[in-house]
Amino acid sequence: MSVQAFLFYLLSAVILLSTGIAITRRNLAHAVVYLVISFFGTALLFYLLGAPLLAALEVIIYAGAIMILFLFIVMMIRLETPEKPLLPRAQMVPALVMGVVYLAVGELLLTFSEPAAKVPLESAVATPRVFGQFLFAQHWLAIEIASLLLLVVLIGALLIGRQRSKIEEPES
Amino acid sequence: MMDISLAAALTGLLAPLLAFALIMVLLRGRPHLCAGLSIAAVGLSLGSALLLLARHGASPNPLEYSVQWMVSGDLAVGAGVFLDPLSLLMMVVVALICLLVQIYSLGYMAGDPGLARYYGFMSLFAWAMLSLTLAPNLLQLYVFWELVGLSSYLLIGFWFEKYSATQAGKKAFVMTRLGDVAFLLGILLVLAHLGNLGIREMNTAAVAAAFEPSTLTVAILLIFGGIVGKSAQFPLLTWLPDAMEGPTPVSALLHSATMVAAGVYLFARLYPFFSLSPTAMAVCLAVGTISMLLAATMAMVTRDIKQVWAYSTISQLGFMLMGLASGSYFAGVFHLTTHAGFKALLFLCAGVFIHHFETNDMVAIGRAGGRRQLIPLVCMTLAAAALAGLPPLSGFFSKEAVMAALAAQPNPIWLGAGLLGAFLTAYYAFRLIFLIWFPDRVSAETAPENTDAHGHAHAQPRWQVLVMLVPLVVLALPTLGLGGLQTHLMSFLAAGLTGPEPVLPHLPWLPLTASGCALAGLILAWFEFGRRRAPRIGFAERSAFWRSLFAERWYIDRFYRALVDRVIDRGLARLCAGGDRHVIDGAVDGLGRGTVASGKAVSGLHRIMIQHRLGTMFAVIIFLALYFFI
Amino acid sequence: MIVPFNHVLVLSGLLFFLGLFCAVVRRNLVMILLGLEIMLNAAAVAFVGASLRWQLMDGQALVVFIIAVAASEVSVGLALVMAAYHRTGSVDPRQLEQDG
Repeated sequence: MSVQAFLFYLLSAVILLSTGIAITRRNLAHAVVYLVISFFGTALLFYLLGAPLLAALEVIIYAGAIMILFLFIVMMIRLETPEKPLLPRAQMVPALVMGVVYLAVGELLLTFSEPAAKVPLESAVATPRVFGQFLFAQHWLAIEIASLLLLVVLIGALLIGRQRSKIEEPES
Repeated sequence: MMDISLAAALTGLLAPLLAFALIMVLLRGRPHLCAGLSIAAVGLSLGSALLLLARHGASPNPLEYSVQWMVSGDLAVGAGVFLDPLSLLMMVVVALICLLVQIYSLGYMAGDPGLARYYGFMSLFAWAMLSLTLAPNLLQLYVFWELVGLSSYLLIGFWFEKYSATQAGKKAFVMTRLGDVAFLLGILLVLAHLGNLGIREMNTAAVAAAFEPSTLTVAILLIFGGIVGKSAQFPLLTWLPDAMEGPTPVSALLHSATMVAAGVYLFARLYPFFSLSPTAMAVCLAVGTISMLLAATMAMVTRDIKQVWAYSTISQLGFMLMGLASGSYFAGVFHLTTHAGFKALLFLCAGVFIHHFETNDMVAIGRAGGRRQLIPLVCMTLAAAALAGLPPLSGFFSKEAVMAALAAQPNPIWLGAGLLGAFLTAYYAFRLIFLIWFPDRVSAETAPENTDAHGHAHAQPRWQVLVMLVPLVVLALPTLGLGGLQTHLMSFLAAGLTGPEPVLPHLPWLPLTASGCALAGLILAWFEFGRRRAPRIGFAERSAFWRSLFAERWYIDRFYRALVDRVIDRGLARLCAGGDRHVIDGAVDGLGRGTVASGKAVSGLHRIMIQHRLGTMFAVIIFLALYFFI
Repeated sequence: MIVPFNHVLVLSGLLFFLGLFCAVVRRNLVMILLGLEIMLNAAAVAFVGASLRWQLMDGQALVVFIIAVAASEVSVGLALVMAAYHRTGSVDPRQLEQDG
């Protein structure tokens, strides 16, 4: 087992464990913090798999921006009535049944996958420079669409926030 | 030249229809105008009928005007008019009696709140009956056959506030409908084999080649089923006595002279076709004989004056069928013609008595002084003598023609039945006459011309009495004189018949025997009812068994009642109701409930929490993956 | 030499399942959004692994877009959560259902 393989399994363990803890926390702030750990692990995994730029973006956007946003929201919400059953059976049992089917399908896919998927991957690195040039050369239209999406989201978020205040004004 | 005939025929046919439409749509509120319009329309019909008779009476070739009505594949059904001696004769008879009865109704129905409706229905009947008479093919005939049945239903139930009248109308409608179903099936059978329903086409000998012999017999018997229903023959004969619930002029017109005779007319119309199957002819002969004798026995015990004539109508219709079925076309049609005259006369006379004394009971009429109504009583006596077949009245000649046909049959039983029928007919007809002429006691003579007791009858204006008496006198003329026209009519009718009329052997003893039988009936009636110190109770009424058997119409009605109750109401109807309630309703309800339930179940997928939707999506995607990859 | 591609897929699949489990089971709108983030992240892991497997950079390019979509989704989603919270005073999705 190479060092890289060892690192992969270690990071996998960290990611799965921290995610598992995160989704079972009753306290939302704790959950978000555990998830930050999971995203850090993912960032390292990206670096290991030869995507340094993505690793940086993961840290900045996922672990940084998105999780901070979650934290703000969690702090704005005062949870007077915390969830009584953390994992209600009515929702958990079907989810688990489906999960078993899902894992079975995954297992089947892996078993019958092509032999090339079973040899270890060659390591390679896409440097940020090369990756950036590739991105803007090959996928410039998708970039533009994504930027448009971000603009729409900006306006949408603003609108939703304003509607709420407008609705509330006559009541208060 | 052709056009004048066609125009006359169409005018004669459509004038009553126009009158009906005008009366029903516009003139309901003005009864006298309605009556005038209706009478004028029928008068126009009679005029055109006489015109047609004058133009075509001598020509041997039947005229047919026809346009295509329905074409489907190689089936073609036309619509039009068919003029031959038979239809012309029938048209004149129908139009004449319609006219006389409508004039008579002016007096009889005076003051009735439904007078406009009455004349509307009468016009409807006149139109349907005339069109039936002139129909060139069976389908058109069937349409008007049903329309005639409808107008019969409407007129029987004319006084619909009387429960028994509505019941009688319903009974008549349903029972004739039974026969009509058979008739329709017969028409379809003929259509399927022949591809054509034209009466002229059916009456050729070539038709026999298109059928299997057994199929032909079945088709003929099915059509005969319609005749049985319409002419109230055995076993569908019990509707006609009940139909007497209608106004008496209606009984005179529809239920004796014309409508019920439509069955016999149809037989005569299709006579060459019917004679293709000897088996069917034998069945028809048997049915006619049974009906004649049964109805005659029933007429012997009833005291209702109209019922007697109703039974005698059934009996005489059966007699006509006997004549036709025993191979004499002329005898049947001739008896049909004379019967139409004297039976209408009988009913109209009876109507005068009923109108005057306000009772149907012949004994009560006699006791109330029926013999003071001299003109009606004389007319009725004349007509009853004609019905009995006494010379020299019209009935004698026509009955004698039928008897001759029966005598030509190899089996003497038919002639015996015919003679027995003649005896019974004379007996019951004169039983009624004698009971009115010679009542056992006359109570009304103690209080003559009491305006209080008979306020309604005597308050009648003079003209109303007159319009009721004039038709009687007019109808009495053919009763007296139609017999003399026998040879003319015979050659006239023979011209329209394609096949040769069988030459009947001339039997000099036959008229003597027949009138002897009738005379015997008359004398028996005289001994029992007419002479002074007569017992005034008939031989049939002495035994309780026979009396109840005849009065209950041989229990045919009871049998039908039981059949309807047991089999149809309790068995079939309950089965159908149960099936309807449980199977069909259950299926529909179950379908509805199932839809609602499954809708509720599925509505969980979109109505519930977002997370359930998410889970559902997840499950669907997994199964899609399973489907695509495995 | 790192690990076979299948192992990357196993990690991605398990991560996706955890995210889905969170989104379906937890009765809390914020946790539902977190579950969505986890699922998107799992997809990103699979794409990066695939990029290495076929030695093509398109997989990594897709991850960029995934991150953009995740960011948009979170911002709109959280705005909606806030709106729902202000309407019902709760972040329980069941409350939302009963409310309308």
